[in-house]
Amino acid sequence: MSDIPFKNPGWAGNTGEFDLTEEQVRGDDFVGDRPKHGGHASGAGTLPYMLADKHPEAALFEGEYQERFEKILTRYPTKQAALLPALGLAQEIRGHVSPESMDRVAELLDLSPAYVRGVTTFYTMYNKRPVGDHLVQVCTNISCNLAGADEVVDAFLRYTDTELGETSEDGKFTVIEAECLAACGFPTCVQINSRYFENVTPDQVPQICEHLKSQGGE
Amino acid sequence: MAYPYVSDHEVQIVSKHFGDPQQRRVDTYVERGGYQALKKAFDMGPEQVIDMVKSSGLRGRGGAGFPTGVKWSFMPKESGKPHYLLCNADESEPGTFKDRELIRWDPHQLIEGCLIGAYAIGAQHVYIYCRGEFFEVNQILARAVEDAYAKGYIGKDIMGSGNDLELTVHQGAGAYICGEETGLMNSLEGRRGQPRVKPPFPAAVGAFGMPSTINNVETLCAVTHIVDNGGEWYRQYGTEKSPGTKLFCVSGHVNKPGNYELPLGFPLSQMIEEVCGGMRDGNALKAVIPGGSSVPIINAEEVARCNLDYEGCVEVGTMLGCASVIVMDETTDIVKAVRRMVDFYAHESCGQCTPCREGSAWTAKILRRIEDGRGTEEDLDTLMQMTQQMVGTTICVLSDSVAAPVQSSIEKFRDEYLALIRRGERVGAA
Repeated sequence: MSDIPFKNPGWAGNTGEFDLTEEQVRGDDFVGDRPKHGGHASGAGTLPYMLADKHPEAALFEGEYQERFEKILTRYPTKQAALLPALGLAQEIRGHVSPESMDRVAELLDLSPAYVRGVTTFYTMYNKRPVGDHLVQVCTNISCNLAGADEVVDAFLRYTDTELGETSEDGKFTVIEAECLAACGFPTCVQINSRYFENVTPDQVPQICEHLKSQGGE
Repeated sequence: MAYPYVSDHEVQIVSKHFGDPQQRRVDTYVERGGYQALKKAFDMGPEQVIDMVKSSGLRGRGGAGFPTGVKWSFMPKESGKPHYLLCNADESEPGTFKDRELIRWDPHQLIEGCLIGAYAIGAQHVYIYCRGEFFEVNQILARAVEDAYAKGYIGKDIMGSGNDLELTVHQGAGAYICGEETGLMNSLEGRRGQPRVKPPFPAAVGAFGMPSTINNVETLCAVTHIVDNGGEWYRQYGTEKSPGTKLFCVSGHVNKPGNYELPLGFPLSQMIEEVCGGMRDGNALKAVIPGGSSVPIINAEEVARCNLDYEGCVEVGTMLGCASVIVMDETTDIVKAVRRMVDFYAHESCGQCTPCREGSAWTAKILRRIEDGRGTEEDLDTLMQMTQQMVGTTICVLSDSVAAPVQSSIEKFRDEYLALIRRGERVGAA
């Protein structure tokens, strides 16, 4: 895959230059970072970040996040429709969705805590327990599998010395398998926090991990 | 542009600006003729827009291939209720990676298509349900929507036409089933993304209980160009029954995997050889899944006579689906590949209907047993019988999608299953 005749195709930088920052990868064409208060209400429900720096004790829905939550509410005809964006926001703030977060969301949206738990556990992207600084999701579905995704998973597990679904002892990495990440033309695709790493081969895994470690908990 | 790979066979309409980051800017988009189709649509009136899309013969690009203009005409005219247009960007069919590219390279093309669609069906609000894992895509899209609001292409009195339209980007949370239209509606409403029983169909009772229409990203992108250039112009590409161009997402064992926009009806073998640079390492072709993991697998002989349009794929006993071509060469372990796909469905089954919830899990277990060399010949009969009971017995077609690869692979590659069972060892995997 080394002869791909382009650089910087998007998020990941398919050239193997994994030490590029997210800003460099996006290129200066990218129209800037989205503020924590969400900018215009039309896009306030999207999650700008999944940060390496996680604050499990942070205050929920206060300050700028409160502002964003209220913007989200204006975009739907029912209050309940804000449930998914609100859970996403809770995860963005704390790094995972704890039962306490769920109860708070239920209170804000006039839903029962049990209902919110039912919805939260239906979706895979809500981390029901704390994860490492870097949540490594390796796509092992059909196209990546044909390209050897299983070996990439093994390489990550070997490097981080952990088991699938568990967090490494230093709290840096959680490695899980992901279902198709819609980058089948660039296998193996690995999503680490909010960034896609494409065309990953097992021998690149240490390089990627070293780079992430050097960035620390941002 | 040198976007991953391009081919001379391509007819680039929706993918014209792939690889050009400037296209994301609203100013560049407008300079290149953007938002003119929306203006044309406002001048034409909703009925004429629907007629034009009907005359183009555009068929839904999300998998089912239902004519888009006809779908739009199902929307009630004077219901007095709010109408919604939902854009399905919850791309998660294994093998598909077109919507992500469409949005991240050309977000305004989609926004314009959404606005035209909303105008045609009398919707006041568009929701783009974008897949949760697409952080980058969501950011680009959200920023593009903000820019379009700032420039007056969305919002009140768009371009002085007196039309008001709202657009919201909704980020999903990781569930394949939310790509099913009624599952998507439930998810948008803040529920578990479990599909609903039809009827009532979305055009009568959809999102928030109101008349709604759902279209795929690629469909709406194509609408922009159809309204700009006319229905007849679109018909010059493709075949009589499947007009236009389609993005083919080619992955697997080819030299140049990637997105290629080809006229429908393009021969599959020519695509593999000429467009995608042939098979990896010069290996022989073993099997192809032409439409994403939910459609039957075809073998090399069927590949040779398969044309890539909705009818051509049906002729060889499979479906075009969302045109996600997964190519497998002679080294592929078919049993493992099928087991991996079934694992996926077992994971993504929403659990509403028993045949799907139990069937997908047991199918995965039996396949795993065969893969490990502990299977029996009876297992193959059990698999055939069980998957037969999973077709057409559930609310949505996820269950049918489990049956397709299992049944087709047992029919066409029975030898591989038998070899594993008899020798207790893998074939194919070198």
